[in-house]
Amino acid sequence: MSEERGKEELRSYEEINEKIRRGDAVVMTAEEFIDYVERRGLEKAAKEVDIVTTGTFGAMCSSGAFLNFGHSEPPIKMVKCWLNDVPVYKGLAAVDAYLGATAMSETKPFEYGGGHVIEDLVSGREVELRAESYGTDCYPRRSLETTITLDDLNQAYLYNPRNAYQRYNAATNSSDRILYTYMGTLRPRYGNVTFSGSGQLSPLYKDLNLETIGFGTRIFLGGGVGYVVGEGTQHKPQTGFATIAVKGDLTGMSAEYLKGAIFHNYGTTLYVGIGIPIPIINMRVAATAALKDEDIPVDILDYSVPSRDRPIVKRSNYAELKSGKVVIGDREVPSSPLSSIKVARKIAETLKRWIESREFLIQRPIELLPNYREFKPLKIKKREITVGDIMMPLKDLILAKAEDDIKKVAKMIVEKNIDHVPIVNEESVLIGIVTTWDLTRALAEDKKTLKEIMTRHVITAKESERVDEVAKRMAEYHISGLPVVDDVMRVKGLITSDDISRKLVGRRGL
Amino acid sequence: MKVKLRYPHEAASKPILAELILKTGLLINILEAKLTPKGGEMVIDIATQGPALKSTLEYLRAAGLEVTELHSLVEVDRGLCISCGACISPCPSKAIGFDQSLDIEIDAKRCIGCGICVRACPRKAIQLI
Repeated sequence: MSEERGKEELRSYEEINEKIRRGDAVVMTAEEFIDYVERRGLEKAAKEVDIVTTGTFGAMCSSGAFLNFGHSEPPIKMVKCWLNDVPVYKGLAAVDAYLGATAMSETKPFEYGGGHVIEDLVSGREVELRAESYGTDCYPRRSLETTITLDDLNQAYLYNPRNAYQRYNAATNSSDRILYTYMGTLRPRYGNVTFSGSGQLSPLYKDLNLETIGFGTRIFLGGGVGYVVGEGTQHKPQTGFATIAVKGDLTGMSAEYLKGAIFHNYGTTLYVGIGIPIPIINMRVAATAALKDEDIPVDILDYSVPSRDRPIVKRSNYAELKSGKVVIGDREVPSSPLSSIKVARKIAETLKRWIESREFLIQRPIELLPNYREFKPLKIKKREITVGDIMMPLKDLILAKAEDDIKKVAKMIVEKNIDHVPIVNEESVLIGIVTTWDLTRALAEDKKTLKEIMTRHVITAKESERVDEVAKRMAEYHISGLPVVDDVMRVKGLITSDDISRKLVGRRGL
Repeated sequence: MKVKLRYPHEAASKPILAELILKTGLLINILEAKLTPKGGEMVIDIATQGPALKSTLEYLRAAGLEVTELHSLVEVDRGLCISCGACISPCPSKAIGFDQSLDIEIDAKRCIGCGICVRACPRKAIQLI
């Protein structure tokens, strides 16, 4: 298929643009096209429809804007610079800067960030500009404070290195505490599922094989006109995770489609509205443009696992997720989107109207995007201290059985001078824990066996985990020791806050 | 009906709700309580309506409490809301959903005023009243 990718078999870009100029191009939104294919069949629909419009409106962290402030009198080589107290990247020429969506205000972090500055600029609001420099012979000024609006700038380009993922993973949380993530608020014990993307309206999914979207494709961007400027970062088309980099002039965009946002305890970002016209150039493109929510797979991942490889809890799809409930195991779990389906639909409709009213012509890409890309992880090459390095090994531990007598265990605790006793079954599998505190309580309440006082829900650690991760967990649960277990919960050792503070003294690298 | 009770200092040490429950057998759910001997506030849900509700509220007022009927516990700023849905599934009482035109709709009868939606909203468009 690779040679044929992008082949204009049904109609050419020139033919479509000619029809747009005449005002008789047949344009449908992705959802209208799905309906039409259902009623008339794919072949007939592909013959009749010239363009399918798409849309998405979601949080896109890899977004930002290149700005040129113009020169002050006397001029300054800005070394550090802030807009409304949000730091702006200044590793460029004197008055060029890059404002990133996730940069947070130094005075109001987690409340206001780069995304909000972009929204304010596009809304026409005044923004405070502050800059510092060391002063040079050619740029004598050392500091400045002023206000700017979008109109005052020479250039202001939205330039987003990664937007509009073809599809996304969804999120849930198996742990017993609430999580605040870039996937929103995740209630404990599979309390809910959140998902991103617009499913059957998704711009890149509607051209699944990337036959029409490429470098130079003209698109709806933030309410104005923009362009695809190549593959996005982390582009991984072979598994349906293609992304695009986009560029467009902020002047001409609308704050309705560029909204600053905050994810609690995560940080700030920008909601970006993107719509892409998909010209139906061949039957393959028609087929992917007709894909429905139920055809688009979404893996629900467990965000309580602090790893880059989070386990898949369930394979779902956009139809199930959009229905508002997902079945996980034997439970119905509420699901809701993070992207606005309402605005996504409006974008697809707006783009359709632009084309129908001859305001928007389509552009054949200069180059198609790669349809395979290796996705490399970041390797940590320096050795990090793990739980296995500093834990108390199994041979130094006291393990007890649930039926054991409290007095016997208390005696061992005194002899060995330890605070934590893991309770195991016949197979050495961890089933509980008692601490010296539990024994004190047992004495006060006149209990006889460990079974009556042990904690059954035990917080554990793995030998391969980094020590700082485990220290964080101890603080979170207000505990001072964790049994170290293997994959089947067999006890391998014990790590305490004492081990961490004593054995790490004098060590480097933590 | 959800009701906010303000306890002045004198009322804070009296078992007003307990007496009310014993007297009427009404089901009362305490949704929120911040009460010290100095006084405080409580949000309760009284499972009744009409004349029975009216006389219950009168009883509470007579006992010395300041009573405010809560028709809604949260407020959505429509100018800020982008209808994304991030507040919907975190809601523990399933009080939030989309209406026909995909705008956010909060069912005041189900809302318990826990505030999880306030944190979940990426636009800070929801406020507790």
